[in-house]
Amino acid sequence: MGDAARVWADGRLDVRGESCPYPELYTLEALDAIGSGKVLEVITDCPQSFIRIPESVRVHGHALLSERRDGTTRVYYIRAR
Amino acid sequence: MKRWYDRVFGEFWGATPVLVVAGVFASFYFGLTGTLWAVTGEFTRWGGNVLQLVGVDPTRWAYFQAIHLKGGPLQRTDGWLVLGMLWGSLCAALLGGHFKIRTPRQKRRWLWSFIGGLMAGFGTRLAMGCNLAAFFTGLPQFSLHAWLFIAGTVLGTYIGVRLAVLPAFKGKPRLEIGLRRVQSLDGSGTARPWQMYAGLAGVLVWVVCVGWTMRDHRPLMGLAALFGAAFGVLIQRGQICFTSGLRDLWLFGNGRMAKAILAGMAIQCVGTAVFIDRGVQPVIHWASLGTLIGGLMFGVGIVIAGGCETGWMYRLMEGQLQFAAVGVGNITGATLLAYGWDHWGLYRALVQGAPEVNLLHTLGWTGGILATFGFLGLLYVLVLWREGAYRRRLALRRLPSAGDVSA
Repeated sequence: MGDAARVWADGRLDVRGESCPYPELYTLEALDAIGSGKVLEVITDCPQSFIRIPESVRVHGHALLSERRDGTTRVYYIRAR
Repeated sequence: MKRWYDRVFGEFWGATPVLVVAGVFASFYFGLTGTLWAVTGEFTRWGGNVLQLVGVDPTRWAYFQAIHLKGGPLQRTDGWLVLGMLWGSLCAALLGGHFKIRTPRQKRRWLWSFIGGLMAGFGTRLAMGCNLAAFFTGLPQFSLHAWLFIAGTVLGTYIGVRLAVLPAFKGKPRLEIGLRRVQSLDGSGTARPWQMYAGLAGVLVWVVCVGWTMRDHRPLMGLAALFGAAFGVLIQRGQICFTSGLRDLWLFGNGRMAKAILAGMAIQCVGTAVFIDRGVQPVIHWASLGTLIGGLMFGVGIVIAGGCETGWMYRLMEGQLQFAAVGVGNITGATLLAYGWDHWGLYRALVQGAPEVNLLHTLGWTGGILATFGFLGLLYVLVLWREGAYRRRLALRRLPSAGDVSA
């Protein structure tokens, strides 16, 4: 699903200001909490999490649907396994 | 030009190539100057300088006599190295467009950052080196104290991870569940050219500084400033965090950074061996109980703080203000240790009488080099084992079961 089509999400996790490992840890826990098949929006500005969140989400079997960049902030849309 | 720029600064650089290059640079830095890529000794001197500013004279403390407290940061080679690292990280963060003032939403982060930094600073100086001089650049000196420190750090980070997931440390995220429209991005952060220009100006300033030290007949300081800036750029562009190397291995079964660190140390061992063979004196420290305890404190501290010495330096330069607390904690902890060294009898109790073991002497050249690579190999096996164990646990969890929810 592309950026343009994504207008709704089933939950939002805003971890701006947090630094590692918490953006990654919170994301994984939120994906467990939100329920299978739901889409979580994650907003982060910790540079290390730009590497770690996509990596970790895949390892855990969730699907990274899309990613938006806004300068120093990134937004991920992830479907929970 | 734009394409080239995006290729260099658009994405982060891979951790393994960055650490291999850092390893090569570190061995040349050792070969050219006879000193190590290290930072905490200088942090301790900063603590001493601060004490001098407020009218306390610490130059008679045994620890400061051992590490030579003279002048200010700009009169010391190590001072230029540390400032170079900070400056290099700042320029790299600006050039990559990653600079942003960030403050943690949860107040507890400030407290834990300071306490973790304090523990790590105290521990590293007890051990005579941090994740650099007793780890990344310490092991390739064939000094046994690095083995003890690494063992302590591996165990300490494990304990640290156990603490970091407790509610008091972890806190609560801002999580809203329920169908909602996605966050509209206002584009306020897109491609701000000022960061690039500021970064370029920063590079120019540093070139002038290096030229000035050279003209002033202080070639060692100029060299330190150059190497420091290179290290600073590398750790920011590669997001090189030794804390995450160990922490993420325990917490997420991710050994990418740990393997990269091992590769950087392996290549460095070859480089330093060549320079030692050509007559450069290796830097050997006491292999003592203090080294092991120091490593343990360091390991716990860096996980609680969220960053080791290299980690907090580049993160602070990216604008993550939380890491200023880690830095202040580090310097405070190191200064406390310097005081306690003789005043609390730490040296007598934990360090005195411990041997300074140079493995190239004790085991001979072949034995020393084989043993060091054997140790690296053992660490590599540990990483693979942990990755495998985590993956197996994850695979078990994926089997559908009712009681599977662990939030």
